[in-house]
Amino acid sequence: MAQGRKGKLNYRCPRCLMREIDMDMLYDLERNEYYCLRCSFTGDEVEVLRLNAQFREKYRDRLIRITDF
Amino acid sequence: MVPEYLQKEAEQGKKEDLGRSTVIKESLDIFRTQQHIAHENGLRTTIQMTYASLFNEEAVAIAKEDHERYGDEIGSTFLGIQCQQFREKFTSRELAIWLFSLDDKKKIVNEVLGKFHEVFGFFPTSTGSYYMDAELVNYIKEEFPMIKVAVATCWEEGPKAYWNANNSWYTLLDGGPWNPWIPSKRNIHCPASDEQDDIGIVAIPHLSRDLMAVFDGPGSYYGTHPQNILRGMVYEGDKIPYFNNLVDQYRSMVKYNQGYAYNMMFVGPGWMSKNGRWEADYDMLLKSYQDGMAYYGQLKKEGKASDVTMSEFADIFRKDRAYTRPECTLWKDILYGSRRQQFWYADPWMRFCLDMNQGGAMIDLRPYASKLIRPCGVGTPNLQDASYPFLIQSNYRAGYFTHYAGEGAVKSCKFSHGSEMVDLCTCRAQASFSEEDDTRIVTLEPVTIEFLAFSIQIQTVFRIKEGMGEVEIVRTILSSTEPSAEVTIDEYITACYGTTEYPEDLTGVRLTARGVAAEESIEYAYQCRETLIPSIQQVEAFVPQVDTLLSMHTSEDTASGYFREGFAFSPMYTLGIKKTVKEKGELRTWLKVEKAS
Repeated sequence: MAQGRKGKLNYRCPRCLMREIDMDMLYDLERNEYYCLRCSFTGDEVEVLRLNAQFREKYRDRLIRITDF
Repeated sequence: MVPEYLQKEAEQGKKEDLGRSTVIKESLDIFRTQQHIAHENGLRTTIQMTYASLFNEEAVAIAKEDHERYGDEIGSTFLGIQCQQFREKFTSRELAIWLFSLDDKKKIVNEVLGKFHEVFGFFPTSTGSYYMDAELVNYIKEEFPMIKVAVATCWEEGPKAYWNANNSWYTLLDGGPWNPWIPSKRNIHCPASDEQDDIGIVAIPHLSRDLMAVFDGPGSYYGTHPQNILRGMVYEGDKIPYFNNLVDQYRSMVKYNQGYAYNMMFVGPGWMSKNGRWEADYDMLLKSYQDGMAYYGQLKKEGKASDVTMSEFADIFRKDRAYTRPECTLWKDILYGSRRQQFWYADPWMRFCLDMNQGGAMIDLRPYASKLIRPCGVGTPNLQDASYPFLIQSNYRAGYFTHYAGEGAVKSCKFSHGSEMVDLCTCRAQASFSEEDDTRIVTLEPVTIEFLAFSIQIQTVFRIKEGMGEVEIVRTILSSTEPSAEVTIDEYITACYGTTEYPEDLTGVRLTARGVAAEESIEYAYQCRETLIPSIQQVEAFVPQVDTLLSMHTSEDTASGYFREGFAFSPMYTLGIKKTVKEKGELRTWLKVEKAS
């Protein structure tokens, strides 16, 4: 097994992020996957980005400019 | 000069080297960029020089030049103390000033401010850290009386921040005000009661945070710190309207605070690492900062905001400010699209939060009146736990919803008829804020409660008269489809004490119900005892662990009052006052927190 290294942009584990834990992942070059030391998540960049997009969905107003206060 | 994040990143795969030139160079580049962005938007800054940066001639030169040219303030910070010189002098790897022993804190203060004077030829008037306990600030004021303002806490950075950082970030500092305040000499979290209690500085929270999102989520996701917002992923593509929304909600606080509103951004160079961070590359980190500063600059140009340095702000804040004046905010959700509102209140007696999603239930209550002496750091009983204790924190201690058994910490009201009962926690509402002379008023829109045979319309009003240390709560049955039907209004508070999610021992708490003709009292022993007294005057809980007397009283002649002891699976105590009324009837009670000793 290869040594885990810091991955692109320091991706955090998207599963841990769902429960609001910032947990940087390691990247396995041989398997081309990111993995989490805490929760056993594994996935490639596409999977990480998909789950990150899912994480954002809870912010329904993230693209709305609110001016009425 | 070398903030902890940048240093940590530079160390990946390498041995520690506090003097690594690439890190210092990058840090300086970012510092220069930050200053440039502020100035091109017509804004002045407060440069908080770290101890490490005082040994860097270039950093010192930039600060001096920007002070001369733009009028930036040169302040000092106790963040970023770690550097070779510190390590040699203090032989410690500790990075948090508040976690040293008091003896070491004093030595570090002398060294940091002494070095600042050596470099700049004057002492700073502003300083800060993530947290500064009252003991530390009292010492600073004693030795360096020119200090007038400090970043003293991070709002609601407590167990949530610890959890968010994989249980490795020791900023356990919940319980302070969200906006600037004049702290008490006894506890930095508490606003001072009077001149004798005034610690001598104006304290500001580390960031201007989202009062709703941060109460239930990580502080480092939701505030006027652009890279925090990226960390929370509150953006799409390169669009971050949330930052402007936050600034505007802070601006709207003029409505609740007699024309005054405050907002700040505090970003260290480490947050704009060239390697990118929080799934964002450097370009995005930079753009978020540029956009944020551009919005402040635009507001300034439009005459909607003034830029002031920390020390200038301290002078403005103190001007004509009565110690009793509260800070109020009716915050609305700008993140989740829920229409939820929460009302936050802080004065020298208490801090509390009302949640309109739960019919105006009180979901946070801190007894500032107790002014607990609670130093932190090595050699103190609390060590890392610098939070100000709560009596209610509904997210840490369940609130209305519990799993099948027991009660959670919340203050609310129940309406019952026969065997039916409805808690206002289940009645969502919207609220409005108003003022009458020296009284702040929160009025909830009426809600309808449906019993099997009839329904009633209820209105809740909270009134807080300045300087009294109590909250008046009025529950009125505005109308009933069966005007002759009797309804019992039960105003209650279920509380505990603590600073974390975990229960504390309630042994020693004394519960008392005092009526016109009778009085009963028990020492808490987890025995589920309950007492009801007619013609009640006051119900109270003496909580010696936090030196607090919590009470409810009423002026009603026909109300009864009760206390209820919990059990080990439900470590809470409940105080209540109830009265049976018909249509147009009301129950008026007052909630008070006092220092017990």
